[in-house]
Amino acid sequence: MKKRRRRLQILKGIGIFFTSITFLLLYVPILLILVLSVNNSSRSYGWEGFTIKWYTTLFTDDIMREPIMNTLSIALLSTLIATVLGTIFAIGIHSLQKKQRIRLVLMNNIPVVNPDIVTGISLMIIFSILSFTLGYFTVLIAHVFFSIPYVVLNILPKLKRLDANLYEAGLDLGCSRLGGIWRVILPNISTGIITGALMAFTMSIDDFVITYFNSGNEYMNVSTWLYAKLAREGRSSLTPVAYAYNTIIFILTIFIIVFINRKTERKEKLI
Amino acid sequence: MRRLRFLSIPYWFWMGLFVLIPTLILIILAFSNLNIYNPDSFQFTLDNFRIFSENYLLKALTNSLYLSVITTVICFLIGYPVAFYLTTLSASVRRIWLSLLIVPLWANMLLRIFAWEKIFTPGSIFSDLTGINIDLLGSIPGVIIGMIGMYLPFMIFPIFSVLEKMDFSLIEAAKDLGATDFEVFRKVVFPLSIGGVVSGVIMTMLPAMTSFVLPERIGLAKYNLIGNIIHSKFMKEVMGSGALSINVGSLISILLMIFSVISFIIVTRFDKEGETLI
Repeated sequence: MKKRRRRLQILKGIGIFFTSITFLLLYVPILLILVLSVNNSSRSYGWEGFTIKWYTTLFTDDIMREPIMNTLSIALLSTLIATVLGTIFAIGIHSLQKKQRIRLVLMNNIPVVNPDIVTGISLMIIFSILSFTLGYFTVLIAHVFFSIPYVVLNILPKLKRLDANLYEAGLDLGCSRLGGIWRVILPNISTGIITGALMAFTMSIDDFVITYFNSGNEYMNVSTWLYAKLAREGRSSLTPVAYAYNTIIFILTIFIIVFINRKTERKEKLI
Repeated sequence: MRRLRFLSIPYWFWMGLFVLIPTLILIILAFSNLNIYNPDSFQFTLDNFRIFSENYLLKALTNSLYLSVITTVICFLIGYPVAFYLTTLSASVRRIWLSLLIVPLWANMLLRIFAWEKIFTPGSIFSDLTGINIDLLGSIPGVIIGMIGMYLPFMIFPIFSVLEKMDFSLIEAAKDLGATDFEVFRKVVFPLSIGGVVSGVIMTMLPAMTSFVLPERIGLAKYNLIGNIIHSKFMKEVMGSGALSINVGSLISILLMIFSVISFIIVTRFDKEGETLI
């Protein structure tokens, strides 16, 4: 018994060791970004004291206004569209017979597994065939496109748990087809819809590769703006305002997700 | 709910438009001299295949394979014990640790790469604060550590999601029947988690293989990967040497697609509904 306990302790030690490495690898860059956003130096070679001036510059100065506005507007709009479409498609997929369902889920998963660069190029190709000018609109479609599969994947398990007879019962009790979706299905899958939407939003706000290939010369989001600035002007051109922006978005995301998690948790308990 | 089947029809068209048609066009581009921006007439040709005799492409292919395989193996060696360790924690503690693993992914990917750049530069703010000088900018280990830092969570989540569903009394049963710890792992735990491992390997390897900003920044563009070549063929060379670079780029993308289709088939063998993908 003693030996066994000891062995368990060794295993636990290995687990803790690797978990610490993981957190080190994940959090050192994050902490560095945090530090850079409050460092009183525009070239960030060393620590020169605490300041919040980059945060105030972010709101008063125009340098990053356009890319930030672009990023936020695409993220909000594409999340909204992808969530609505993804919910509709997920309900459709769930209603299919097994064979067809698996086929469509397979299709749905292609963009999830495909490397971003392949997705980005595929979209760029189709836009140029359709002679769409690359810009806000094509980026919006691209973000809707890569977000939908994640919304679908978040909703399908919730639909699986839902008793199919409930919907039929709703219809028997006088709901229209759409009314049945609205009153019976949606309330039961709402947690999946919310987590799907959150996933879509966090991916859209940070996307670089797909935006880069589909944005043309005029449109820039924060990521492509940063990339272009660095490629053009070199490493020292990176303004600490970017770190401040990222820190704000980062902390906001954490708050939103914690808040919504709390709510859905309560809801899951009620069900 | 059979009546709601019609809702899935538009999704077929949507996927057809954005997945199937572009793939077909990429294939045509790869095997012809079609000019995508001025598509009048074109001929099928195998000229684009000449790229495979170019040294820089072969170099990029081996670099991609080499770097992504090493990254994936290390991610697995670190990620599996972490995923396992997480399942041994109580539900509420586990929730916190899991969210802490997701949180870093919400920071901008480019800024995280720039942060690694600073960490690997001696005399940067990182060494000013910590007193540690790491000189790995432009080196293979630097690129690999950067990749691990980027993609490790994608290894942990799928493995965790299958281990979490595993019936832990199986371990007790195996032990009672006389299995050693290693046998329990090899014959019970690992086979049950293989679906998650496969998803994890692919979700780490494909992005690592195709990354192009990371090798450009942390590797100081010394080591080109497939992603860098595709990037250059589609975005940079188009202006100079004419549209044929797109055809060559398409050919390389097709190669990458074949690789990701194979991975995809392997994933779906273990996980039909894509439950380990989110």
